[in-house]
Amino acid sequence: MNDNELKLLEGLRCLAADGPREAPASVEHRLVGELRRRSRVRRRNRWLGLGAFGAIAATLAVTLWIRTAPVDQKPTLARSQAPIAVKAAEPQPPAAVAPAYERGAEVAINFYPLPDADELPPIESATIVRVQLPMSSLRLMGLPVTEDRAAEFIQADMLLGQDGLARGVHFVR
Amino acid sequence: MIQLRFSFALGVLAGAVAFAQGPPPGHFGGGDFEFMHAHMGMQKLVKGAPYSAQAVSQYTQTLADGSHIQRSTTSSVARDSEGRTRREETIGAIGALASSTASPKAVFIHDPVAGSAYMLNPASKTAHVSQPRNFTLNSDATSASEPSARTAHTRSNAQVKTEELGTQTMDGLTVQGKRITKTIAAGQIGNEHQLQVVTEVWYSQDLQTTVMSTTTDPRTGVSTYKLTNISRAEPDPTLFQVPADYKLTQGGGGHGHARQ
Repeated sequence: MNDNELKLLEGLRCLAADGPREAPASVEHRLVGELRRRSRVRRRNRWLGLGAFGAIAATLAVTLWIRTAPVDQKPTLARSQAPIAVKAAEPQPPAAVAPAYERGAEVAINFYPLPDADELPPIESATIVRVQLPMSSLRLMGLPVTEDRAAEFIQADMLLGQDGLARGVHFVR
Repeated sequence: MIQLRFSFALGVLAGAVAFAQGPPPGHFGGGDFEFMHAHMGMQKLVKGAPYSAQAVSQYTQTLADGSHIQRSTTSSVARDSEGRTRREETIGAIGALASSTASPKAVFIHDPVAGSAYMLNPASKTAHVSQPRNFTLNSDATSASEPSARTAHTRSNAQVKTEELGTQTMDGLTVQGKRITKTIAAGQIGNEHQLQVVTEVWYSQDLQTTVMSTTTDPRTGVSTYKLTNISRAEPDPTLFQVPADYKLTQGGGGHGHARQ
């Protein structure tokens, strides 16, 4: 052991004899503050990452759903309301110009032909009128109605020709 | 405040009960039906045969005491060379059925060239964008709740005879006539004697439209349809356009909404 090593050993012994040393309170306060700030940043970054992942996943899911969904879905109809529940496709809202409707895009409404309309002239210009009426009124169109149902009120669509006479009826409810 | 809320709730409840029960008997004030709304149905496309006219529909029924019920409605109709059509009408009756209140006046415009169709409401100055509704007449379009079983039976047993009536001139047009007679045998619908329902149709090949038709049914009365004041000049193009001061609307029901 040379002189330098002896001096270093002596110095270390003196230092050890002074007892444990602590950093000043201000340093400790700054150190703890910095650790807490870094922890907050790490948590925020983790949530941001999760949010971005969720948004991307949602976008992908919506895109896939739009691509795979059928373009022209036909509604499922209850038997009692079947034909009338088929609503014709409405055209898109117009701006200032006349909007074009899609030919063939609508579903035809089935009308029950009235017994007294067989011999009427063919329809050249049709109007479909929704009415509410007592069942007893159907007798005036040649439809038999039993007395126990005569007072019931129903809604029906009437298919009228250019002469204003009904060719068919479609019961709504 | 509590009383006000209670009254409101009671009113809503009463309204809901009334709606669920439907209109009471006699609700239509003597009419046979209540008009709700109307839509344009498909239109026959005819090009190169323009015209405009008044279409008069009349209905006459003779009652047991010899008195009559008579109704008449007049519509304005027009078609241009391109096949655009316009029909202006008020629906106050459907054959033998009388409406409790007449529908609002409606103007139906169909422009197959532009692929557009409108229902104009002159009262509100609105133009409802609408596609003409397609339809089929099919006896299978029935459900268990429909009173149809005996109807098919009646039709199949009726005898139908068709006669040609030759040609006539009506309002300057040559028209061809046809008479269709349907005979309902005695007892078929509970009738003591046989019944005959007679329909006469006078059709113009030039205009490709029915100029006059008459249906006589002993059960309901006589219905007549006739085009009058027929002009074969090209109609004013503005008749087939939405007026500039009309507001365009779309969606929902059709024209009318007397009750919904």
